[in-house]
Amino acid sequence: METIPSTPAFALTGVAKHFGDVRAVEGLSLTAAAGGAIALLGPNGAGKSTTVSLLLGLARPTSGTVRVLGGTPEEAVARGRVGAMLQQGELMPELTVGELVGFVRGLYPRPLPLSEILDLADLGSLAKRRAKGLSGGQAQRVRFALAVAGAPDLLVLDEPTAAMDVESRRRFWDGMRAYAAGGRTVLFATHYLEEADQHADRVLVIARGRLAADGTPAEIKATAGGRLVTFRLGDQPAAGLDALPGVTSVEIRDGVARLRTDDAARTTAALYRGTTLEVHDLEVSGGHLEDAFLALTREP
Amino acid sequence: MLASYVRLEILRMVRNRRYLILGIGFPLVIYLLNANVFGKGTTDGGVALSAYVMVSMAAYGAISGTLVNTAGPWAQERASGWLPQLQVTPLRGWMIIVGKLVGALTLVLPSMLLVCLAGALTQGVSLSAGQWAALVGALWAGAVPFVALGLVVGSLLRPDAVQPVTMITMLGLVIVGGLWFPVSAMGETMRSIAEVTPAYSYADMGWSVIAGHGVPLPDALTVAGWAAALGVLAVLAYRRATVRA
Repeated sequence: METIPSTPAFALTGVAKHFGDVRAVEGLSLTAAAGGAIALLGPNGAGKSTTVSLLLGLARPTSGTVRVLGGTPEEAVARGRVGAMLQQGELMPELTVGELVGFVRGLYPRPLPLSEILDLADLGSLAKRRAKGLSGGQAQRVRFALAVAGAPDLLVLDEPTAAMDVESRRRFWDGMRAYAAGGRTVLFATHYLEEADQHADRVLVIARGRLAADGTPAEIKATAGGRLVTFRLGDQPAAGLDALPGVTSVEIRDGVARLRTDDAARTTAALYRGTTLEVHDLEVSGGHLEDAFLALTREP
Repeated sequence: MLASYVRLEILRMVRNRRYLILGIGFPLVIYLLNANVFGKGTTDGGVALSAYVMVSMAAYGAISGTLVNTAGPWAQERASGWLPQLQVTPLRGWMIIVGKLVGALTLVLPSMLLVCLAGALTQGVSLSAGQWAALVGALWAGAVPFVALGLVVGSLLRPDAVQPVTMITMLGLVIVGGLWFPVSAMGETMRSIAEVTPAYSYADMGWSVIAGHGVPLPDALTVAGWAAALGVLAVLAYRRATVRA
């Protein structure tokens, strides 16, 4: 029996966004199935915030189309199906946390119960405080509360943990995971690799306005060449290294050989047993998202 | 949605000390000072000066109140990110503009009523109930173009530029409009200029009511014309400020 594919949470097709001569986003195409946490990972200036603005209808693409929950971004926002936490956004200083959350909640057709919102954002004790006296991390949690208040199908968070301390961050991610667990889609933009690695089901890596990789954190690590085997080669010939099992690329610099491999164990075994080379200072590194990230986003 | 946005706007302004002092207290103090300076005479038309000055100062309070309370906060909300935050909720752009308008009109009412009350209680201004109602009604409804002007200024300028520009605009309007020095004391040219400005026509509706003539149609049309023109400008400026280029 054929299953009917559900409407994607969002889909970008050949999207470009130029600001004058600056090409913030260029030829970006991606589709996100509904449900789960998606990280939009990239270095500063990669086009993350522009992509977020396009998804929220705050910016229109120079070319290409953006669809959110089956309609235009403006339609999705107007119907209350999208909630967002933007990078910058002061709260009205004269209002209390409870008033702000209550107001935004009232704008949506099917909001979460107030108590659940305050729980998710860990704000229970702050409800009566005016926004003016909040710390940076507290204000950030209020903004998270405003984003989830309407129980949106798509929750978009742009660099959500900026200004949060370690404890706030931990609680914030707990709240985010709890929200995504209800079958909703959460997209968060970040330049912190460990956030993408630990909290996303899927990672979209963007660099220079283009999609550089798309997959689970494990897949991203694998596609970017897995691990790195390095050793001192000295004057010995490098011929045959690229034929070793698992090796995807070979680089020799200053007498040091760097082998990218998707199977470090077989590569090192073959290096000792299958060659006559004298192997000094052998190191195996990588397998971290960070290496993959650097490999994927470095300048060509 | 619109109602809760208006309620939020009013709630935050009522808690704002700046609004309470500049928006409500200041026009009252200025009126009491002026009323005592101008004394007990009558105008050429035989209207008590205390009543004439009361209308001038109520109009002045409404113009400065709507401009100051709209332009500054609006520019601030754009720059601080509160507006983009509203834009990603189901609250639509037109609701934000209408909400600002209704909020500003509500917030200007207390200062207007206080000036009238002070006129009646401390300056012996005596009008019929119908005149009081017509006066407050005309000054209230006639404040729309000044709210729109505040939105235009707040949409086009950065927060630090808003205050001086608002002050200069407001002073220009009330001086040229004859709210501080009656137009009868102006030369012919200045008087013809005054009569097409929104501030003169606005206050003249009030002066005419207290002289027992009702609201003159040309004044009402001038104010309505300004309201329409500035309203369109406010919408265009809002679109520019929230550019979806």
